[in-house]
Amino acid sequence: MMDPVVGLWGVEKVFGNGVRALAPVNLAVQPGEFISLIGPSGCGKSTLLKVIASIHAPSAGQVRWWGRDFAHVGSAGHRMAFVFQDPTLMPWACMEDNVRLPLDLERMPATTAGPLVRDALEQVGLGHVLRHYPAQLSGGMKMRASIARALVTQPDLLLMDEPFGALDEFSRNRLDEEMARLCYEKGLTTLFVTHSLYEAVFLSSRVIVMAANPGRIFGEYHIDPAIRRDETFRLSDDFAHMCRDLTQMLTEATHATFSGGA
Amino acid sequence: MNARHMARLTLIAPTLVGLCTLGVWEAACRLLSIPSYLFPAPSDIAASLHANWPMLLHALGSTLQVTLVSLLVSVVLGTAIAVVLVQHKLLQVSFMPYVIILQVTPIAAVAPLIIVLVKTTGVALVLCATLIAIFPVISNTLIGLGAVDPGLEAYFRMHKATRMQTLLRLRIPSALPMFMAGVRIASGLALVGAVVAEFVAGTGGNSAGLAYEILQSGFQMDIPRMFAALFLITVTGLVLHGGMTTIERLLLGRWMRPAT
Repeated sequence: MMDPVVGLWGVEKVFGNGVRALAPVNLAVQPGEFISLIGPSGCGKSTLLKVIASIHAPSAGQVRWWGRDFAHVGSAGHRMAFVFQDPTLMPWACMEDNVRLPLDLERMPATTAGPLVRDALEQVGLGHVLRHYPAQLSGGMKMRASIARALVTQPDLLLMDEPFGALDEFSRNRLDEEMARLCYEKGLTTLFVTHSLYEAVFLSSRVIVMAANPGRIFGEYHIDPAIRRDETFRLSDDFAHMCRDLTQMLTEATHATFSGGA
Repeated sequence: MNARHMARLTLIAPTLVGLCTLGVWEAACRLLSIPSYLFPAPSDIAASLHANWPMLLHALGSTLQVTLVSLLVSVVLGTAIAVVLVQHKLLQVSFMPYVIILQVTPIAAVAPLIIVLVKTTGVALVLCATLIAIFPVISNTLIGLGAVDPGLEAYFRMHKATRMQTLLRLRIPSALPMFMAGVRIASGLALVGAVVAEFVAGTGGNSAGLAYEILQSGFQMDIPRMFAALFLITVTGLVLHGGMTTIERLLLGRWMRPAT
């Protein structure tokens, strides 16, 4: 059987101050899945994502990427990219240089990197602001640049931590549609942390609902990946029905107390 | 009010304040018949500046030379020290108290010792000015190098950036605004240090600076010349500050500029 893109076995996270952010978590992310992590504040969804990104080391348990350890992440076919809650762009660098950063860090020659950078910026609709600095762009444009910086590495796994949380509803909906198009067209495996139930339903093929104190997986909700993610879907009865189901699950998760499992 | 109007105003308003002050000062000296050996009028100072120009220009050159050399030494040495100290917390806690001791010990108290210990006067003057100017460079660069966006730091770590890549691509550019602020402060302090050192050294002859001119004018009761030397020190300070601000704007202006 094929190894999952990411596998977590009994992963726990206890921070230095004693806060137990994650109770044992088991999760297998299959290729091409778009998974959203959703749950009340403090349920450990961002922590879980950061453990997968290897930004946090797990306190217990095991994480494997494509069946191997983190040292192999970054090689061909095993590339991972992370989009933070904030754009985290370098204010001193123009858009082109910001997006080229991950390629520069792996010492890709400028002649090879140039077309990739321009292509990534075109994909997110920023082809016209190559020489602009972050201070000259709107919040939405900065977030697009952050996504372009993730896409430029041609990742096999994309991790996104509430990337559109700070945007207005209109920009958020538009970026959601663009994200869905980019990820489903490429079959890009994506893990997406969000506070928005509607965003989770719109984007995901699987929604993982988490509960807090300590953070753990409460339940899962599957959505047909073949559905075309557009305005028609957003306004459909199916969408409303899914949102209702998920709202119910989320309410149960919010009231759930820890009893050793979901 | 648009940006261009604001820029024009920030030039015109202080110029007007200066001209008005000079006018009131000149009128008061004339109307109250204050003798120039007590408190010279601006016109007396201008006349003295004109009459003593070659001598004052030479003194200005000496002071400026000490100031610029010590500023350069402070920037190079201060940055190097900060880059070394930021590498390890233990280095920082071991050496920072001594850097602070340098700063809190008044230069006027240390200068006589340096003048006695260092044989070459020029080197002694530069050393005195450097001692006072180096602190803001070290302190600001250290703060700048340490104050990196945690998100970007995590990003570099996730992409397995080497220590050198993180220093060159992240820490140094992040530190640039704080570093430039430190250099701007250091430019003023280097001038202060140079003048204080010149006072203590009391060097005459070829290496006589503006401080020596002030001392000599005092001894000779040539108060307009004293004011003229003081005026040159002030102008030098302003030019240095302006120069540093311009460099700062050239380096940082593009990425600090808000959306228009």
